[in-house]
Amino acid sequence: MSISRRDVFKVAGAGTVAALTAAPACAREEERYEQANHIPPGALGLLYDATKCIGCKACVSACVNANGLTPDTSLDGLHQAPLALNASTKNIIKLCKATDKHPESFVKQQCMHCGDPACVAACPFHALEKNLVNGIVEWHEDKCIGCRYCEIACPFHIPKFEWTVFNAKIVKCELCDFRLAVNQEPACTYVCPTHAVIFGPREKLLETAHSRIAAAPNKYFENRVYGEKEAGGTQVVYLSAVPFEDLGLPTLSADSVPAKALSWQKKVYKWMAGPVLLYAAIATAMKRNWVEHEKEIAHEEEETGLKAQL
Amino acid sequence: MKNEAMATDSKRPTVVRWQRGVPVYGIPILTRPFAILVAIATLGICLAVYREAAGLGPSTGLNDAYAWGIWKTFNVMVLTGIGSGGFAVGIAAWVFFRRNLHAVMRTALLTSFIAYFTGLLGLGVDVARPWNFRWALLPWKWNGHSPMLEVAICMPLYAFFPLLLENIPPILERWFYLWKESRPAIDRIMPVIRVTYPWVVALAYALPMMHQSSLGALMLLGGDRVNALWQTPMLPYLYVAAAAFLGFACVILTLIMCCMFWKRPFDRVIMGELADIMAKFTLAWVGVRFIDVLARGVAGLAFQPTRFAALFWLENFLLILPNIMLLKKERRETIDLLFKWTIPVALGGMLYRFDPTTLAFSPQPGAFYFPSFIEILISLGWVSTGAIIFLVMVKKTAILPAPVENWYKLEQYRRALQPEVKLTGYVTSHSH
Repeated sequence: MSISRRDVFKVAGAGTVAALTAAPACAREEERYEQANHIPPGALGLLYDATKCIGCKACVSACVNANGLTPDTSLDGLHQAPLALNASTKNIIKLCKATDKHPESFVKQQCMHCGDPACVAACPFHALEKNLVNGIVEWHEDKCIGCRYCEIACPFHIPKFEWTVFNAKIVKCELCDFRLAVNQEPACTYVCPTHAVIFGPREKLLETAHSRIAAAPNKYFENRVYGEKEAGGTQVVYLSAVPFEDLGLPTLSADSVPAKALSWQKKVYKWMAGPVLLYAAIATAMKRNWVEHEKEIAHEEEETGLKAQL
Repeated sequence: MKNEAMATDSKRPTVVRWQRGVPVYGIPILTRPFAILVAIATLGICLAVYREAAGLGPSTGLNDAYAWGIWKTFNVMVLTGIGSGGFAVGIAAWVFFRRNLHAVMRTALLTSFIAYFTGLLGLGVDVARPWNFRWALLPWKWNGHSPMLEVAICMPLYAFFPLLLENIPPILERWFYLWKESRPAIDRIMPVIRVTYPWVVALAYALPMMHQSSLGALMLLGGDRVNALWQTPMLPYLYVAAAAFLGFACVILTLIMCCMFWKRPFDRVIMGELADIMAKFTLAWVGVRFIDVLARGVAGLAFQPTRFAALFWLENFLLILPNIMLLKKERRETIDLLFKWTIPVALGGMLYRFDPTTLAFSPQPGAFYFPSFIEILISLGWVSTGAIIFLVMVKKTAILPAPVENWYKLEQYRRALQPEVKLTGYVTSHSH
């Protein structure tokens, strides 16, 4: 048994057709992804100024109320006192204790709404997606397979998972998009008594932050806005007198996490060129060896009188 | 049926040459260890049903910091790594045309299929919203940037298309001999399989290269959660190469254990060749890894009193010393020495595949994960399921390699039970 020339053409033809139909789909996907995963002109976000926060946690309970979550009272069964972000806490205020280097400070944690989010790159079926208009990173219930890769990938440790229920969901701040839809601001900024956290277009928030730095040149850590450049830019930005690292904000370079981590993957899989070339090389070697093998098999059958095995 | 090969062998009876698969015969399938495996597998499946109903929290030790547990990190990352024999030995046999290794391919392919099949079962109970997996059928809904997507599509595709197809010939062969009515159909199917075989098998090597490297790429997005001794842009390539030597180790260990348990003849030349490739390849792999650690300037971490340094050296110790021992021909051609020195290689490789996801993975200070009892039992359930499939297959079909004489012995044995069954005499003309 050998492969006829016609068979080779048939398979090669089918492969070409498959490749030609796949390529435009890949290209469209690539284009759509690139278009979505940067900070859009209409990006909305938060500015949290740690020097203004009094730690009242009004934003924590307002967030729970607005989002219809169950208050986390697991600490003493009485008070809503979550220890960390979890399946019933999308927003939390934590205390950063004073050291000999810096005074005490509060810090707010919630989704940063990155320009090029690691969770969106990680998510296999686009359950996490960046809104094209306002850049909010949204979670879609009908697409999530519950693999929890977003929890592994997020450099800020934001997405949380409902561990104790059957129809488990990913829980994270979506900037109260349901409130934005009826022209209300997010619950956390709405209730903040000292305006430590404010809501607005990212451009405006950065402007405000820089004017605060300019007004008090040595007040803020490194005279810098955290999130302006970190991880390719985030839509939630921070000001603080305390080093950002001490507030639990990771030190990240200006490259986005996916761009840095997956650059080689992207090159190898561009247009599926890597896999197709690999397959072609292997198939060529295989085919040559197969012809050889068929001859040997025939010889072996003659020698042993037994039907050859494949 | 006297022939040249047999005549040569009878002159030198000490030399065993594996030529074809011969089933394990004369032993019932239902033995006591088999019953125990069935019990564990059944328990595992029952607990998996409980897990589906109760959610991941009550049934596992998982939490938001350690979002992935042993079903992913052991059943998938480690076991599909060690189940890469079909891919690794296959490439040696078919792409680099090491003809000797054709004799062990059926063993390699079966272990691979089992590892992937049970790994996918593990993944199936791990994902929390499996009903949304329907999007896998619509390529335009895929996120082509996600290593998880690559794994989620490519692994089942490999397991249920090329790998399954490669495992079908032994079953067709059994039917051919024992089920007369199927013969015309098989005579029609086999030529189709033979024509498409090289094209399909090439896919069976390209796809594992993709998803075995993507398993490593998964951890790239983990960033500094993965200790710097492991976290490297080289991770995908080290992962797929580790799968390659693990595949060899798996085939070697499987064959040795089968030879020991069922007192089957041991082919020193073929096993020596497998061990030779494994040893040299693994040592080169360790070399690349050291260069990577040095080039990234993190070698200092290996000399700090941390568990990471200890794990790093444990992995390397398990991989370096045994493979150096196996460079010597006499050692790798002696069954018990080969067994003794291949076990640490398998352990070292498995540890390497496990560490970046679990032991060298530190998401947050204070975070802790240890698999729950239920989690471990479900994991063992899948492993037992795999062992059950293996035992049934090697007893029912011609998987394990043996000298050609064993085929004649098998025929004699069968003839006493079923005189109408013929296992020889089907080759009349040679039209190849």
